[in-house]
Amino acid sequence: MRAAIAAAAVLVAAQLLPAAISNPPVTGDIGAPGGVGVALRAACYDCHSNLTRWPWYAQVAPLSWWIARDVEHGRRELNFSTWNTYYPVTRLRKLEWIGRSLAQPGMPPIWYRAMHPGARLTTAERAALSAWVAAQIAAAQSAR
Amino acid sequence: MVLRIILNLIKEGPGLMRHPLRTKPLLAIAAIALILAATGAPARAGDTVVEIKLAEGHFEPQTLTVPAGQPLVIKVTNATAKTAEFESFRLNREKVVEPGQVIVVHVGPLSAGSYDFYDDFNQAVPQGSIVAR
Repeated sequence: MRAAIAAAAVLVAAQLLPAAISNPPVTGDIGAPGGVGVALRAACYDCHSNLTRWPWYAQVAPLSWWIARDVEHGRRELNFSTWNTYYPVTRLRKLEWIGRSLAQPGMPPIWYRAMHPGARLTTAERAALSAWVAAQIAAAQSAR
Repeated sequence: MVLRIILNLIKEGPGLMRHPLRTKPLLAIAAIALILAATGAPARAGDTVVEIKLAEGHFEPQTLTVPAGQPLVIKVTNATAKTAEFESFRLNREKVVEPGQVIVVHVGPLSAGSYDFYDDFNQAVPQGSIVAR
């Protein structure tokens, strides 16, 4: 009983330390077209853009700390909402990494797919995204 | 060493955690894991070890030549005040380096060629390259 009360007290106290949850302005989106854009927004934008759809439990510590940290890391690695701030060579690198990630099953991460079944990329979506990314890479390389 | 400890742990079985006098191996494993996490696995004989420093605005050296066909150990020091990420698409590596921290990146034997690396968090830093010959 005491342990339960202590755990509840810790949980309540944890709420006094809110996570840094925010959606900064979108300065220049990557602007993926049609179905590719839809798939990107569904599967990638929660962690890799400033258009994160924060779930209700993102307001509850300690889950909020974990989610906020993951989103911060995701945005730092790749942010589709600030695509215009990337140098051309940086864009090319990001596209190459996206292409590599799409070729592997680990992205979106399994825990995220478990919480957001709609974020699972179908084989067709993955193929469409890969083809679009490959075209973007080719265009970026030819522009260099 | 690590393998032996793990094998010992397996032999000890599930009772290990219950016996207070048998917690030392666990502490040893935790310590080793922490050290490996902080410094990376140690270089083996035959590995080529190179060092790269991220100074303010540039890598030192910017180009390194290494022998092709040999495992490579890259020690990266972040001598700046900003968090960096040592990244290379061609090497398929990315690792965060906090200010003042040294990280170790292990790479398998390289084919002859040039392998770019860069600081993914600071795109103004000119990229460097590892040339395998």
